[in-house]
Amino acid sequence: MVQQQDSFDQGLNVETSMDLYGLIWNVPKAERRRRIDELIGHFEMQEFRKMPTVDLSAGQRRRLQVAREFIHDMDLLFLDEPTVGLDPIVRRSVLDYLKERVRQGLTIFFTTHILEEAEYLCNRIAVINQGRIVQIDTPENLKRRFGSAKAVEFKLLQGTSSEMASALSSSASVSRFGRDEGSGAYRVTTTRPESVIPEIYRLADRLNLTVSSIYISETTLEDAFINLVTEDGKAVANGGRAS
Amino acid sequence: MNTYLRLVYRNIRANLDRASLFFELIFPLFFIFVQGFGLNGIVPPFEIGNGRVVSYSLFLAAGAVTLTVINGGTNAGTQLWFDRKNGMFEQLLMGPFTSAQYILSIIFATLIIGVAGSLLVFAFAFPVLGASFAPTWEGGLLIAGALFLGTMFFGAFAIALSVVLKSSETFQIVSTFAFFIFLFTSSVFFPASAAPSPIQVASLANPLTYTTDIFRAGLFNAVTPTVSLELLILAIEAAVMFVIAVVAFRRIRV
Repeated sequence: MVQQQDSFDQGLNVETSMDLYGLIWNVPKAERRRRIDELIGHFEMQEFRKMPTVDLSAGQRRRLQVAREFIHDMDLLFLDEPTVGLDPIVRRSVLDYLKERVRQGLTIFFTTHILEEAEYLCNRIAVINQGRIVQIDTPENLKRRFGSAKAVEFKLLQGTSSEMASALSSSASVSRFGRDEGSGAYRVTTTRPESVIPEIYRLADRLNLTVSSIYISETTLEDAFINLVTEDGKAVANGGRAS
Repeated sequence: MNTYLRLVYRNIRANLDRASLFFELIFPLFFIFVQGFGLNGIVPPFEIGNGRVVSYSLFLAAGAVTLTVINGGTNAGTQLWFDRKNGMFEQLLMGPFTSAQYILSIIFATLIIGVAGSLLVFAFAFPVLGASFAPTWEGGLLIAGALFLGTMFFGAFAIALSVVLKSSETFQIVSTFAFFIFLFTSSVFFPASAAPSPIQVASLANPLTYTTDIFRAGLFNAVTPTVSLELLILAIEAAVMFVIAVVAFRRIRV
């Protein structure tokens, strides 16, 4: 198990810490040496393999914590938010390594709030709301069953418009409205994109704005998750349960 | 490798602070070679029991060896403290170990550190102690018993403290203060029987008094009829403290 909380032996360096962890799990010395070299490569820890664990950054320590667990053999592994604090490149290589291990037969219970990770990695996803599993299914089925709303994304030549934001937020066809600060695109979640898109153009005309790009994006797992949790919340509030 | 051996080895490797260990060994040697010889000129030799008369430096040297059992005890509390602080406590219990195996491994590691530290100090102090060392089987057993039970008591005491106290600073302050009291109300530096009555009373409850007295009796073949009683009291105190440590430990929520 890799817990969410940090765990490390403070008096040791990375390599010795991994070796001692292997010893605890009764892995023979030669095998420990082989696996340590292999894992240090997979988790890109060459630069700090001799560094004391107390001097590691949060991300480096996290990498050590996850890598260390693969020193010993297992059939089942629990990972509680293992990618917190990792940069995107390392995060992807860690996820790829996990995927490879799953392909080799390891079963992993992976807890995360990052739904892209869950979609990338998991064969089956259990959605937990307020400590209760509300749905278990494949990512595709969850999106199909609970992601009925589509996302319409568009950009304005003028960048932003508070009038446009205000009008769309209060539109009856729009279930969610937001703006991605990174790309500058507005994102409208709706079950009726065919009526929302003309509405966006009408509003742009009226406000003297120009729509520079617009498209309907695929339903994401996040959309499905939000719909599912919202539905479950309503059901619980009404004394029942979402199915 | 056996589960306990693996855990004990891990506890010693991962949690033993080499710098503090160095000072823990140097500290008693200063008592032996500086304070002992310094006071030898003004303190006349005196009887310690069974007709055995020793110089002050010899008396103190034996006391300084037992001082290391306190240091071993502090290490036990520190081990548990660091494991909790650094998340290894939970990690180990989620692994192939039970909480009983974990706590026993800390006690075993403490015994090894305490007894090894005492033997090391004894070896360094041998030029002082050697001439008066009167080895007998009975004495050897008394020495082993004193070091074992003393380390057990102080290890368990430090474990209980580290569970009860919430911050590492508080743990350091309280344990240092407590061990300071144990040290100066024991017979490490002076014969408790010759001290003022409040100190005598305190020394009667102090396990370090018994550890030191039994160790001296074994070392110098100065066994008196009270040694068996002292051994019994020390064993009871160590057992009670061990139970307290286990109860405190079981209160930790993982």
